[in-house]
Amino acid sequence: MIQLTNIEKYYASKGVKNYVLRLVTTTINQGEFVSVMGPSGAGKSTLLNIIGMLEEPTYGNYHFMGEDVTSLNERKRIELYRNHIGFVFQAYHLIDEMTVYENIEAPLLYKKVGSAERASRIADLLDRFNIVAKKDLFPNQLSGGQQQLVGIARALAAQPSIILADEPTGNLQSAQAEEIMSLFKKLNEEEGITIIQVTHSEKNAQYGNRILHIADGLIKEDIKIQA
Amino acid sequence: MFKLNLKIAWRNLWKNKGYTLINILGLSIGMASCILIFIFIRFQLSFDEGYKNEDRIYRVVTNWKYSAYEDFSSGVPVPFAAAARNEIAGFETVGSIVKRNAFLQINDANGKEKMKSQEAVYYAQPDFFNVLSDIKWIYSAPELALAEPNTVVLSAKYAEKFFGSVKDAIGKNMRLGEKINLKVAGIIQDMPQNSSFPLEIVISYETYKGRFNNNWDSVNSAFCSYVLLKEGLRPEDLQQSIANFNKKYYPVDKIAGNQENKLQVLRAIHFSDKYDNFANASINRSQIYGLAIIGLFLIITACINFINLSTAQSVTRSKEVGVRKVMGSKRSQLIYQFLTETFVVSLAALLIACVITELAIPPMQHLFKGRIEFSLFGHPSIFAFMALLVLFIAFLAGFYPALVISGFKPALAIKNKIALNKRGLSLRKILVVAQFAITIVLIVGTLVVIKQMQFVQQKSLGFNPDAVAMVGIPNDSLSKIKYNTFKERISKLPGVEDISFCQSPPLSGNINSSDFTYNGVKNKDFELRNIRADENFFKVFDLKLIAGKLYHKSDTANACVVNETFLKKMSITNPEEAIGKVIYASGNTVPIAGVVKDFNDQSLREQISALAIFPGKNDYWNVSVKIDSKQIAATMKEIDKIWNSTFPNGVFDSAFVNETINSYYESEQIMGVLFKIFAGVIIFISFIGLFGLISFVATQRTKEVAIRKVLGASTLELVKMLNGSFLVMVFVANIVAWPLAYLFVSKWLAGFAYRIDVSIWPFALAMAISMAITLVTVSIRSYKAASANTIDVLKYE
Repeated sequence: MIQLTNIEKYYASKGVKNYVLRLVTTTINQGEFVSVMGPSGAGKSTLLNIIGMLEEPTYGNYHFMGEDVTSLNERKRIELYRNHIGFVFQAYHLIDEMTVYENIEAPLLYKKVGSAERASRIADLLDRFNIVAKKDLFPNQLSGGQQQLVGIARALAAQPSIILADEPTGNLQSAQAEEIMSLFKKLNEEEGITIIQVTHSEKNAQYGNRILHIADGLIKEDIKIQA
Repeated sequence: MFKLNLKIAWRNLWKNKGYTLINILGLSIGMASCILIFIFIRFQLSFDEGYKNEDRIYRVVTNWKYSAYEDFSSGVPVPFAAAARNEIAGFETVGSIVKRNAFLQINDANGKEKMKSQEAVYYAQPDFFNVLSDIKWIYSAPELALAEPNTVVLSAKYAEKFFGSVKDAIGKNMRLGEKINLKVAGIIQDMPQNSSFPLEIVISYETYKGRFNNNWDSVNSAFCSYVLLKEGLRPEDLQQSIANFNKKYYPVDKIAGNQENKLQVLRAIHFSDKYDNFANASINRSQIYGLAIIGLFLIITACINFINLSTAQSVTRSKEVGVRKVMGSKRSQLIYQFLTETFVVSLAALLIACVITELAIPPMQHLFKGRIEFSLFGHPSIFAFMALLVLFIAFLAGFYPALVISGFKPALAIKNKIALNKRGLSLRKILVVAQFAITIVLIVGTLVVIKQMQFVQQKSLGFNPDAVAMVGIPNDSLSKIKYNTFKERISKLPGVEDISFCQSPPLSGNINSSDFTYNGVKNKDFELRNIRADENFFKVFDLKLIAGKLYHKSDTANACVVNETFLKKMSITNPEEAIGKVIYASGNTVPIAGVVKDFNDQSLREQISALAIFPGKNDYWNVSVKIDSKQIAATMKEIDKIWNSTFPNGVFDSAFVNETINSYYESEQIMGVLFKIFAGVIIFISFIGLFGLISFVATQRTKEVAIRKVLGASTLELVKMLNGSFLVMVFVANIVAWPLAYLFVSKWLAGFAYRIDVSIWPFALAMAISMAITLVTVSIRSYKAASANTIDVLKYE
């Protein structure tokens, strides 16, 4: 599903290239739950952003579902992105001016989903995550864990085939973190959604079935976890 | 503390160079326009200021009330002064003055001609200068210089012009017209430009030929009387005696139109529509107020920019505010700090505004044909105005942002978690709508003014004024004899197509009107305009007859031609019916020979009047010459040559009818230019502000934009989202502005008898222009925001 070949990313400053990623080559298949780990500044988030098409690599090839992302124009890329990728952030990044309901609805509007379909999908998500009662609240009226649930619901609304999560539990207490991680695991196992998460926590990494260790921009280890 | 504030202000302004530039640019352009308007208004308001008796100095004017209309003249009957001196006890001094054009010749010591020129001269009684006693006499005094016939008083400037210096002028002679010798008996100061009395050559009243006229029924607007009331008297105190005076000299059964005299205070002369003045420079007070309002609009738009941009920037300053508050700064200290900053910006803007004003002064002077004194440092009040302007702007523009910024909650401010983007109707939105409403009113106004001026220039006048030159001819008896020779000589020029002797072109403000009797019945409802012209007049101007025929070539009035309007006003439906009927008007009793198709005889502000065209050799002042349009320049040169050899004692002057007609719309043309300039300025200021505001919104919504992008929004969708609210605001501004603009333009157009209909298109165009420019301005910035690398914003929370 995702095929990265010799991905490189650097920032040039005063003629010196500061490499963030070097020669990253890996393949991630449909249905995998991958945890990307490594020290701060290792390039984890950059890798995730490149996979999520939010950043472009300096060099290298990136094939997503058989298409060469690096050569796509913006319109096609957005099309691909809208239909297949969902993002979850450490800081949730909900839109403060919109209610829970409206936040979940936003990606559907961009996908031009009809209003009846929208309503039923949102109702379904609210129901699944037990946040029906909170649908008219604004993000700042929710706890961190609840906000992240909304964030995940929003990521799922567009029915993506892959969810990219950048330290989804980084801002949460451990109880809430566990809840979120079980949710990811459930989504991965029951619905076959591919999940790639960046995490610092060994414990969270254990929820997945593969761990990529990154240090200094290089993949140091690629471990399969047997369930 | 103040020094520190200044330093911080400087650093902050330097850090945000872009915003600072926009702020200062917008403000300085607004300020420059304001300063120019102020200079202009101050000049206008300063007319005739500084006379120490100004509240006792009055001009006597004459009013008429006919059954159909009212009429006003700045003049009085010639015998007025003598009678009023004796009979109106409240007048301390009464002085007559009459303006005339005259031909002057100055000879050198050997009696050879040194200079000749056509000048405006004033015949004045010494008492005129006793009324306006503040006019300084450099040599002699009113009673000494003006009591005798054949004396003249010159201004210092003219003394120099004619005789080289003031000293050399005293006692010298000059010739007035053909025969009269004048002796220079006095020198007065040069009159300032802001005076309604541009007195350069003042001849003693005793020299004035018409001084023995004893007709109370004849008033010329150039024959004026100025009076000084007795000390302590108000014009109300004189009401009874003036009423008695009117009753005595203008009995209803003898003099038509309820003629009466009234007093007009000195300082009102310059602002009067009804009564003209010697300087021909009157301005309506409403025009002054209109300009003042435009000035106010300009400064308000500039301030709105400033407010919007400052609040926009404030978000980036929130951390500073938070830290200062934590360190113990009081709110008032913060306000003080931010006001200091605004003050610095306003001051910088003022400096640039001064430069812009200086640069704009020459074109302004050109626009007003040099009749107006423009100078940045001409009057202390201009400095006072500039100081006030800076304080006003610093306060108006700085106070609200200072209030907002200083009100941030420190805990949130430190974390940069300040959100100004409240839902609903924020002050900012209202300000933007107000700003654009003003802009749109001006755009609509400009479009309508331009359109009307085009209409005026293109409307068929009913005659053809193209390539016709009016050449002035002297009308003393000696010259009259030469008329035919002159005509014969210029007829032979290859470029000359037709020639007619006449008083004025068909369209002129300079046509006499009079009572008339038609078919033996005296008319009381309207006056008849009398044009005097020979039979060629119709051919030169391509005037069409619809009935009857032209009068024959004749030196005296043997018949006349009337126009259609005359028939309409007399309720004559069949033109043939009028042929042969006898008209008595201004001393001629003649039959109507023909009826001419209507043409515009006055500027298009007025309806066509009833008029009659008579021949009459003794009253021609002009030769109208139709010239082949390809040979105009060469032919005019030839005519000039022939003229000078035929009338060696005259001064050649000529004007093209087209240009003369255009000059009737001079004030409208100036207004059109001003409108274009100010509309341009205000559009510029508004859109600079818009750019600032979209920058603000884009910064405010960076995070939202990033999130939406992550959720799958395309750049186009984001640009649309960011633009949306602005387009709505500008649309609302259009809706607000339309009724105001409609009121304004229909009021302005009402001043024209012939005008364009107020159609939807100037409004629609104004909307299209404003929306289009908004879209472009806003899109530049919002595209930048929408296409920026989103992830940078989301990465570091």
